[in-house]
Amino acid sequence: MFWNRPLALFLLAFVAILAWWQSRPSDQVLHRTQFLMGTIVEVKAFASSSAGLDAAMDAAFAEMARLDQLLSRYQRGSDVERINNAEASIDVAPETEAVLRLGLDVSKKSQGAFDLSLGRLKKLWGFDQEHPHVPSSEAVHEALKGIGPEALDLVGSQLRKRHPDLSVDFGGIAKGYIVDQAIDVLKRHGVESASVNAGGDMYLLGYHQDRPWRIGIQHPRHPNQALDILTVHDRAVVTSGDYEQFFVEDGTRYHHLLDPQTGYPAGSSQSVTVVADSVALADALATALFVLGPDKGRGMLASYPDAVALWVDAAGQLLASEGFNAYRLDP
Amino acid sequence: MKPPWKFLTLADQLLIACLALLGVLGLAWSLSAPRGQRVMVSVSDRLVYLGSLDKEDMVELSGPVGKTVLTVDHQGARITAAPCPLKVCMTMGPAVQQGDILACVPNRVLVEIEGGASQPADYDLLSH
Repeated sequence: MFWNRPLALFLLAFVAILAWWQSRPSDQVLHRTQFLMGTIVEVKAFASSSAGLDAAMDAAFAEMARLDQLLSRYQRGSDVERINNAEASIDVAPETEAVLRLGLDVSKKSQGAFDLSLGRLKKLWGFDQEHPHVPSSEAVHEALKGIGPEALDLVGSQLRKRHPDLSVDFGGIAKGYIVDQAIDVLKRHGVESASVNAGGDMYLLGYHQDRPWRIGIQHPRHPNQALDILTVHDRAVVTSGDYEQFFVEDGTRYHHLLDPQTGYPAGSSQSVTVVADSVALADALATALFVLGPDKGRGMLASYPDAVALWVDAAGQLLASEGFNAYRLDP
Repeated sequence: MKPPWKFLTLADQLLIACLALLGVLGLAWSLSAPRGQRVMVSVSDRLVYLGSLDKEDMVELSGPVGKTVLTVDHQGARITAAPCPLKVCMTMGPAVQQGDILACVPNRVLVEIEGGASQPADYDLLSH
């Protein structure tokens, strides 16, 4: 009998399995990019059905645009503009309060290596302007007056600047905070697997289909090479490097990561990558740890037990904090 | 001695014919899958260029701060001239794979590679 033949049954079973494999529902992927926060924001979301994915993406981008209006110093009427124009204490939005609270915490724990009050100094160097240049030492000295972890007092939602002419800049934290909020929006819409990447500041929600996300870390001196590859899920990854924004003047290279102690580009690291629970924290820590360098940075990182870091120091040597290897694809 | 096919019953022959048909259909389906890759360029969120990655081209893209030049050649799509001061987009190298992007933020130029199958990369995203 035909049905008794093992070969025939095997072949039929094989065909049936192949047909099932081809027809099984695969994850829908939605990928969208947009200019926001002075960079390119990419969102990629996976779901078993496309229903609701578009709406989730719309809502995430709308929230990022709203927060950019509030937290950017380039947007007229933003809280940052209001703070910078204020002479007395002012009431800030809850989102601004959250950014200030985290920023001041990192500022205090890093002993000022991360500083929210560097607005005047950053404007002086002009890294985001058409002609960045090395300012005079007198101008740098003047721009550093009154800055530091104690420069801003936050009581509830009331912020007071100790010096009226202080200028705040959320450049090293707001982008991260906004990515965190976009991730919250996606979660509220039922998205379980997504990445939000704002110019390299990223959060990896859930899994990349059936495996953790694989995140390359850019080599600070070889742009087309990955220095290392991490495997992460439900974590933020942020890298700060001296190669992102720089200019050359009289044969010397000046990058945008300024040391608040000196007012000049920090010299102890080429790049720092931080893996943490939130992008806002990873963003602020990456700046602080870049300025501090690996020796001082390790001590400061102990204040944040869920965060780990990888430095490329000034000599190009790789130095990882305790726990970093757990994220490496090849530990 | 009988040749091997003489041992096959009609049902065996039907089964083999069905499997062969399935194989041919599968091959045809895989060959009909999209193979080309496209270069899609937008300036200030408006689509301004759509071309094949296989066709050499040089495109001048006018944005808010001046002209950005996109070159498409055997290396992929590259920004070869930019009006912005830091010229970060020119150091990004060529975009080749599906999902690769190049961006000149001051001039609001976004170059994306679409269509075709992406090669399996070592990583999903690059932290920089």
